[in-house]
Amino acid sequence: MGSAVPTLLEIQTAMRRGLLDNSDTTVADILGEALAPADRLSIYRNTSRTALTNALRMNFPAVQRLVGEDFFAAASDRFIRRDPPRTAWLDLYGESFPEFLRSFEPAAALIYLPDVARLECAVGRALHAVDAEPLEYSQLLDIEPSIQGRLCFTPHPSVSLVLSPYPVDAIWRAVLGRDDAALAAIDLSTGAVRLLIERRVGEIEVTRMDQRQWTFAEALFGGRSLSTALALADHTYAVAWLAAHLAAGHLGDFALSDAESPLPAEHPQ
Amino acid sequence: MFQATDRCSRPIPAKAGIGLRFQHHQAVLDTRPDVAWMEVHTENYMGGGSPIRCLEAVRRDIPISFHGVGLSLGSAEGLDQAHLDRIWQVAERIEPDLVSEHIAWSVSGGTYLADLLPLPMTEEALAVVCRHVDQVQSRLGRRILVENPSTYMQFRHSTIPEWEFMAAITARTGCGILCDVNNIYVSTKNHGWNPLAYLAGLPRDAIGEIHLAGHSVRQLADGGTLRIDDHSSRVIGEVWSLYAEALRRFGHANSDRVGPERAATRCAGRRSAPCRRAD
Repeated sequence: MGSAVPTLLEIQTAMRRGLLDNSDTTVADILGEALAPADRLSIYRNTSRTALTNALRMNFPAVQRLVGEDFFAAASDRFIRRDPPRTAWLDLYGESFPEFLRSFEPAAALIYLPDVARLECAVGRALHAVDAEPLEYSQLLDIEPSIQGRLCFTPHPSVSLVLSPYPVDAIWRAVLGRDDAALAAIDLSTGAVRLLIERRVGEIEVTRMDQRQWTFAEALFGGRSLSTALALADHTYAVAWLAAHLAAGHLGDFALSDAESPLPAEHPQ
Repeated sequence: MFQATDRCSRPIPAKAGIGLRFQHHQAVLDTRPDVAWMEVHTENYMGGGSPIRCLEAVRRDIPISFHGVGLSLGSAEGLDQAHLDRIWQVAERIEPDLVSEHIAWSVSGGTYLADLLPLPMTEEALAVVCRHVDQVQSRLGRRILVENPSTYMQFRHSTIPEWEFMAAITARTGCGILCDVNNIYVSTKNHGWNPLAYLAGLPRDAIGEIHLAGHSVRQLADGGTLRIDDHSSRVIGEVWSLYAEALRRFGHANSDRVGPERAATRCAGRRSAPCRRAD
């Protein structure tokens, strides 16, 4: 920057890089009195890194307990520098943390860790989703039977689905409940779990589904038309599942797709 | 200059209030303590579910002040409109009696840096802050308060004393000032300014709230000290004295009169549990 007066944009860009990259070369325009500019910047860096690490700790409590505080702090530090938050609302910070953990070599031995993190992301979405009225069955009464197959739903904002080859729900419960006996008894080879995560009256519920329920829910919540979702699942049971999803408040809104879509194409946008 | 009618129907009384944290929600609802008012971090209530429902319940008995830490009024690249919209939504639901933000920046290049970073005291920065205060007051339909910062560095090219910077913001936008006496003490000690001159430089009629909190002291290698606003230490005697001077100038903590010239105080002393966000 030399002796010219830097603009506000130049200062903030330089300080952002200095804070995130752990470099102090950009702070030449900061006055150093008793303390060198790098030391002054490090005070801000420490506050920033601590605040963001604490946000990740709150959003991924089970991951932290599985790997320990020091390991979590080291992983967080690298993640924060690579993918800092885009917004000051930190309740959902770390949506990409599971993918980061998947490629984080020191955590490779914990093969289920990224999926536990994915479950915690879904729990966070359920905890912090905006309050919204669920879709009521009565709102669908005016839909002509002949076009009901074109109904496309969006899930309630608190509802997510997670599929994992490991019993991550059991791991998550045992870790947060500090139940070492339950944790020790978990068998990673018991097969995949298909989970529905939701907020019910302030409580988070994580429910296992079987293969056919999952196929139907994935199609339904993924915006496929009702006729497509019914065809993908077992028709006889799926109608009852749709009623159960409606009764449980899992659906948020609906629209009608333009026309029937043949399997297995996506419904028309 | 913001001139719309203030939405406050029940002004915060000119008495001591306290910060409200998640870990105290249930105790507050169970015991309904006799507290004049409570302050929350706006960012902690942007989602749905139990936190905001709890705040709604507290709000029925106790006036609430919103204290934001993430709007980044000093960002050269403009305000995060989505964040401002979230503040509006939660303000619509809770109808807080005060809304405040910081004279600082925390967003650059679309990244939130999670600290209240210092601004150079320049005409350019003043214009940026005033433009953003105007936008916020327009979006929220109400006057806001802006808090003076605690800083650990100065910029070589700063041209405006910080207290004049604060006064200019209120003069240009019509906003009020949240006078943090601990921040004044921290910054004036760190930079060799005079805390009484700082107080004297603030426009009396603009002060809408006072913050009282603790700070820590870091010893430097050369024997000097740097004071750090950590909100987890006891309020020291010198800050209490400065607070007394602020009360003499701006209002009475024990006054039962309510008026715009009388400032309410939020006390944040030593806490039993760590705070969710730095402020």
